[in-house]
Amino acid sequence: MPIKLPPGISASTHASAVKELQRVVGSDWVFTSEEDLDTYRDAYSIRWGHEDEYLASAAVAPKSVEEVQAIVRIANKYKIPLYPISTGKNLTYGGSAPTYSGSIVLDLKRMNRVLEVDEKRAFALVEPGCSYFDLYRYVKDKGLKLWIDCPDPGWGSPIGNALEHGVGYTASQFRDHWGAHCGMEVVTPTGEIMRTGMGALPGAKTWQEYKYGVGPHVDGLFAQSNFGIVTKMGFWLMPQPEAWLTGTVNVPKYSDFIPLVDHCNYLEDAMIATGQAIYSSGLGGPQNGAEVQALMANRYPTLAELDAYAEKKGVPAWRVKLQFYGPPEVIQARWEYAQERIAKAIPGATFTNFETLPMPLTEAQEKTHHLVNFGIPNMAIFAGMAREPGVADPKDGHTDFFAVCPRTGEAVFKALKLVYDTQKELGVPLTASPFRGPVTWHHKCFFMGAPPVDSQRNDPAFNRRMRTLYDAYVKKFSDAGFPPYRTNPGAQDLLAAQFSFNDNVLLRFQEALKDGIDPNGILSPGRYGVWPKRLRPKRA
Amino acid sequence: MKKTIAAVGIVAGLCGTVGGVFAAEPGQIARGQEKYEYWCATCHAGDPREGGRYLPGTASLNAKYKGDRPGALADRTDLLAPYVKLVIRRGMEAMPFFRKTEISDTEMEDIAAYLARNAK
Repeated sequence: MPIKLPPGISASTHASAVKELQRVVGSDWVFTSEEDLDTYRDAYSIRWGHEDEYLASAAVAPKSVEEVQAIVRIANKYKIPLYPISTGKNLTYGGSAPTYSGSIVLDLKRMNRVLEVDEKRAFALVEPGCSYFDLYRYVKDKGLKLWIDCPDPGWGSPIGNALEHGVGYTASQFRDHWGAHCGMEVVTPTGEIMRTGMGALPGAKTWQEYKYGVGPHVDGLFAQSNFGIVTKMGFWLMPQPEAWLTGTVNVPKYSDFIPLVDHCNYLEDAMIATGQAIYSSGLGGPQNGAEVQALMANRYPTLAELDAYAEKKGVPAWRVKLQFYGPPEVIQARWEYAQERIAKAIPGATFTNFETLPMPLTEAQEKTHHLVNFGIPNMAIFAGMAREPGVADPKDGHTDFFAVCPRTGEAVFKALKLVYDTQKELGVPLTASPFRGPVTWHHKCFFMGAPPVDSQRNDPAFNRRMRTLYDAYVKKFSDAGFPPYRTNPGAQDLLAAQFSFNDNVLLRFQEALKDGIDPNGILSPGRYGVWPKRLRPKRA
Repeated sequence: MKKTIAAVGIVAGLCGTVGGVFAAEPGQIARGQEKYEYWCATCHAGDPREGGRYLPGTASLNAKYKGDRPGALADRTDLLAPYVKLVIRRGMEAMPFFRKTEISDTEMEDIAAYLARNAK
């Protein structure tokens, strides 16, 4: 793609900035050729090939915090926007491309050290270019009895993922990656190094254990935002449990989902079953495709119709796989309690697929288990897009949509109907289903997914339709009180605008902070709707 | 983009018999194997788990070649270095491209030499 300069920056100014950047990091680590910059496009963008696709004007890759500071000073001198990335693998949510075309991508991949892992105190301190694979290998190579919590793609960055409010698969308090972070080092938009929480105390001993320090706790300003460049970050880790136990609860009626969710919430909130509860339906799946389509032929089915359909099929309408971590005797007792509680409350509930394993998994067991539930990073999720029998036309990518919903059966039913309504209204092929379970990455909310919005690098018209569909999901789900927890850059303004309580006071507050912290507006303009003053869109 | 890659793929197929002419030195192949294990094997290894489904690259290539060629890249005898390098930098379908901060040009040459080591 032709290189786009930032609006208002001349070619000679850009060239001068590039020369200065080369003096800081060496010419090998400043990228300006079209060929190199093509690797900074968002591979999964639904704007691919469109005139408003987000493109970088250059990329610069420092090796140290001091180099990051020097780069920030140069960006301020020339008022050229920077867009920091960690491992650049935030696929479906922007990849390694900026949110404002012409930005210089600040590629932190070379800053990839694991700085500290403390086994006894169960925390880690890492740099942004360190991946989940890197951290996992470090822990394993040193024989530390600790688990990390990782999202599906193992090549992502613990820092980048947490800053995006990413989520994972092990015990409750670790699945929320932002919630499990503790302490950060940030290069401010004016080039100062700042440490948050206890890190601000010279000689601090609990930077990675006590989040708050004293006074206003500012860490949240650096997530899904553009207030600073995070160069170090701490994470709480989970001690390797003695054992893992799983069992599946099956309930017969579609409407049984409502009490099932309530009981599973209790089990998690009371710390009886702290592993991820994985919901699914025995009525979905390709084998039922034609019947499910028939159910939705004219309108979305009622609860009574769905109960009748489940009864006719004679298979459990809903299943939930519960998971427990801990000493074998303890988790066995917890599973027995869970069965007793649910059996009393839901007539016809059955309990299947019990399994207990000592930890860690053996090599053979690793081949048959869902690795992320054991804190083992891998790339299996990409099989969902790969060519395989039944997937005749593999897509080049997709952008995810996951709405934050209350943990209730009623909310899930409402969200499932919203997917249907949106697709019907737009007249797109119907991929909605009443049988998609909620995702339980976060321990206090359900994330309800809409079927992935695909992207095709050779089909701009297809991508155009997908943009319309994605924006419709954002609007419709936000109107229902279920906004997505993150979004691709193209929908960030739209999503931020939905948080409009009291005349968008939250966004106006964020903008006031932005103007004070980043006076030249050089850092990630527009990220999650926060624009610097000089680029701020006028509101009605 | 897809057309370009497909065209190079055909060239790679046609020229497969001359691949050995550009024999890499053993040190380069060993370095390439190390980088392949780090960057590529997480999707493209030959693990039989669930028919390779947990290895999306292998699963995809198994479905594509239907037994005509191995799904695991390290077992292939028809890969040539230029083709490997093209896919690394330009991606293919759901596989994104890799930046030089991830796989440097030298490391890419090494990976390509490793995967082309058995070219016939």
